[in-house]
Amino acid sequence: MQVLDRPLVVSGELAWLGGDKLQRHVEHPNDETATIADGEVTQQRAGKSPRHFSLSRAPQLQVLLDSFVALLSGDAGRLQQAFEIRQGGDPAAAWTLTLVPRDAKVAKTVAGITIDGDGKTSRCMRMQEADGDLAIDMLGPLAAKMPAQPTREALLALCQGAH
Amino acid sequence: MVSQRLKVSTDLRSFMPAPTTPDQRLLMEQVGDGPGSRLLLLAISRSCPAPALPAPAGLAHPAQRASCARGTEPSMAGAGQSDAQLAALSQGLVGALHGDKRYSQVLNGSFDLGALPSGLLPYRYLLSPTLDTQPLDEPYLADQLQQRLDDLSSPAASLLKGLLPRDPTLEVLKLAERWTPAKSPELREGVWFSPQNEALLLVQTAAAGFDPDAQQQAIDGIQHAFNALPGHAGAKLEFSGPGYFSVVVGAQTRHQADWIGRISSVGFIVLLLLAYRSLSSLLLSALPIASAALAGIAALTVVFSEVHGITLAFGFTLLGVAQEYPIRVLSHRRAGEDAVQSVRALWPLLLTAIASACIAYLAFYASGVNGLKQLAVFTIVGLLVAGFSTRYLLSRLLPVRVRDVADMRWLAKARDLVDRLPRPRWIPVVVALAIILMLAVAPGPFWQNNLAALTPLPQDMLLRDARLREALGAPDVRYLLVLQASTEQGVLALSEQLQPKVDALVAQHAVDALELPSRYLPTVALQQARQQKLPDRASLQSELNQALQGLPFRPDLFQPFLDDVETARQLPPLTPELYVQTPLGQRLAAMLMQRDGHWLGLGTVSGVHNVAALQALGADSGGNVRLLDLKVASESLVAAYRTRILQALLVASVLLVLTITFALRSLRRAWHVLAPMTLATFLVLAVERMMGIEISLFHLVALILAGGLGLHYALFFERDTGDPAEQRRTLHATIVCVLSALLVFGMLAWATIPVLRAIGLTVSLGVAFHFCLSILMAPHTHASED
Repeated sequence: MQVLDRPLVVSGELAWLGGDKLQRHVEHPNDETATIADGEVTQQRAGKSPRHFSLSRAPQLQVLLDSFVALLSGDAGRLQQAFEIRQGGDPAAAWTLTLVPRDAKVAKTVAGITIDGDGKTSRCMRMQEADGDLAIDMLGPLAAKMPAQPTREALLALCQGAH
Repeated sequence: MVSQRLKVSTDLRSFMPAPTTPDQRLLMEQVGDGPGSRLLLLAISRSCPAPALPAPAGLAHPAQRASCARGTEPSMAGAGQSDAQLAALSQGLVGALHGDKRYSQVLNGSFDLGALPSGLLPYRYLLSPTLDTQPLDEPYLADQLQQRLDDLSSPAASLLKGLLPRDPTLEVLKLAERWTPAKSPELREGVWFSPQNEALLLVQTAAAGFDPDAQQQAIDGIQHAFNALPGHAGAKLEFSGPGYFSVVVGAQTRHQADWIGRISSVGFIVLLLLAYRSLSSLLLSALPIASAALAGIAALTVVFSEVHGITLAFGFTLLGVAQEYPIRVLSHRRAGEDAVQSVRALWPLLLTAIASACIAYLAFYASGVNGLKQLAVFTIVGLLVAGFSTRYLLSRLLPVRVRDVADMRWLAKARDLVDRLPRPRWIPVVVALAIILMLAVAPGPFWQNNLAALTPLPQDMLLRDARLREALGAPDVRYLLVLQASTEQGVLALSEQLQPKVDALVAQHAVDALELPSRYLPTVALQQARQQKLPDRASLQSELNQALQGLPFRPDLFQPFLDDVETARQLPPLTPELYVQTPLGQRLAAMLMQRDGHWLGLGTVSGVHNVAALQALGADSGGNVRLLDLKVASESLVAAYRTRILQALLVASVLLVLTITFALRSLRRAWHVLAPMTLATFLVLAVERMMGIEISLFHLVALILAGGLGLHYALFFERDTGDPAEQRRTLHATIVCVLSALLVFGMLAWATIPVLRAIGLTVSLGVAFHFCLSILMAPHTHASED
């Protein structure tokens, strides 16, 4: 991130609650739960009153929601509707899916999203923000391999398939 | 000339008695001008709220049909898309109205970082309460920066990333929260939504709420802006609020009065054609009343700078008496006699009637109420002009050859019937006793003090207003908390002192929200105190450096923050004059005003649950903090107004007795004229009270008109010419007068709008009672006594 001089690492769970509902629970470094439901985001932190804002104010979340729900529910139509899709690699082995938001407003904040996978599992989700910031979600077993002092390069290497 | 200079005011307040105390003056302003009464509540919804009933295919606009189809889709995606459309319309409308002078505030719930213009952004440290409890030191900054770090990894990151370098403690967000209405509706797609899926907006107009013309312009402006938005075709915009209601009521009343007026005009023309069988007579008979109206208006424009709409409405009602003059002349024409001669014979009696009415209305002029003065000028000038144009203009224009109505056979029979009616002396006593009895047992309160009750709103409109008001947390139009001090800063200081007590009341649920002026602008003193607490650049830099230890933020990231704090230390405190430049400046301007050498602040109240607790706020303030109940106060003003009318009427009655006695030069004859008139007037009151009607100002004015007509009947019936033919002509004239009055006002009595019904019913009953009593109490003519 440009405002920071080193990467920010958080860990937790991302859960699809069905429909358009997504829950993002962060366990480390600070406990926080964010719920996306009905176009609104509710953010809760220990000892603080919950904060609400509209999904349209957080384009990254909109993208995350669209791509996640579409991927998890296998709704190709929805994916097509929200993104321009580019596929790379071998669908049976290591593959890469690049999603570019179609909505100009969203694209102003989120340049694109890249999902790295391996056969039937997704390993990584990388969100390239328009201002140059990059968020990398390491999914499933890969999450455990998060290095103590991550660098952008090291993480990219992890995602792209050093098994 | 007349039409150019006539400035009709539709503002209800100028028809009220002149306020005498500063509080009354404030009330008069606040009745229509307060922040609450200037709020319009807007709801944007999809055009097809009932999916089960598709719009008729032939009528539906293609775009409308498309959007309705989407709206009826049960899927989440369909509903979401529609919300997005409504939200876009809401944002578009805010954008279009922004900067328009007619609106002082437009809110739709969208979180607006632009609430403070960029140049004023450093003022956030003087406006936000943070520094009151919390210095910008290392522990605070460290805690805040840790929270921002969490924010960056959270879904809120994109909201805050841009703000971070300049405002790491998020003062801008704290101010935005402070300035949004206390109880906000649900936010969807970034704008307010009601549970009924309408996008909600609040618009504060620059114009007063009870100025229907200005409100009409404001509403037209909003509708126009809405219609210019792309995608408006699939949605509809609905209004609510006091300003909108004043427009609706005005339009409804005008509409009903118009169609009733058209029907009764046709009936009136037919009646006159039947009575006189002459088209030219009919046309000419309109001359006196038309010239009366023109002369009355001209006099008003000369004497007053602004004419009240109600004056005109009451005035035209009262001018109805003048229609009698040409009718009398037409009925009293003899075959072969030229009109000038007929008028000359009638003139003394007509002049008595005109003079007594004018002298009576002089009492209205003396009442001191501006609206009544205007009414007096209008009617006195109008009646004089009508009388003299009948005497000197109409008489010369009427055709020479006419039919003498005295030769009509049915009239002779009718006259016989009237002459043979028993006229027992006990009639007045019985009628008087009946009146007293009826007034004594009549149900309900005697007076109607609530003027709004005469122009009620449709129930569904009231329900919608309550629903939107509840959803938006919009302030009550009934209560206002008034703060008074000798200076503007004094009012703000009072407001700051009051804030903790108000917070306690809100916590106790005595009231849902109470918005004080200091919420938008703290006193200069408080701003200076906050300024004192801002650290200088060097110490802030060192505190910040310590706070940043162990955090991953770029060390030079917060230069804009350091710059802003340094700027804020040097700023001159924000005053209301400077504040006016901000979008919220108009909001504050509506809450602060100078009156009679001191300053007043207005706190808007929403959701009052405990009036006594609110009143207690001002208990030990020595009158500097007061809760103003606009409903009670406006009702007391109406009552005061009525007292003035009644006093004027009393004086008018005395003048009338003197004039009639002097004109007839006989107390006995004056009794024959005045007794039936008085009894009939009270009989109308008694009958209406028995019907459960509460008497309002409009009833009183209608009673005066009926009294004027009754005076004519009694005067002419009392006149004894000793000529049976002339007596027949008198009966003919009176019957035509009574029928035409019954036609015009009887139609009004069927109106659904209570104010029209009040006038119509009162005048119709009055005409009927005056006619019957003046016949029954008239002295027997010589012809029948012989």
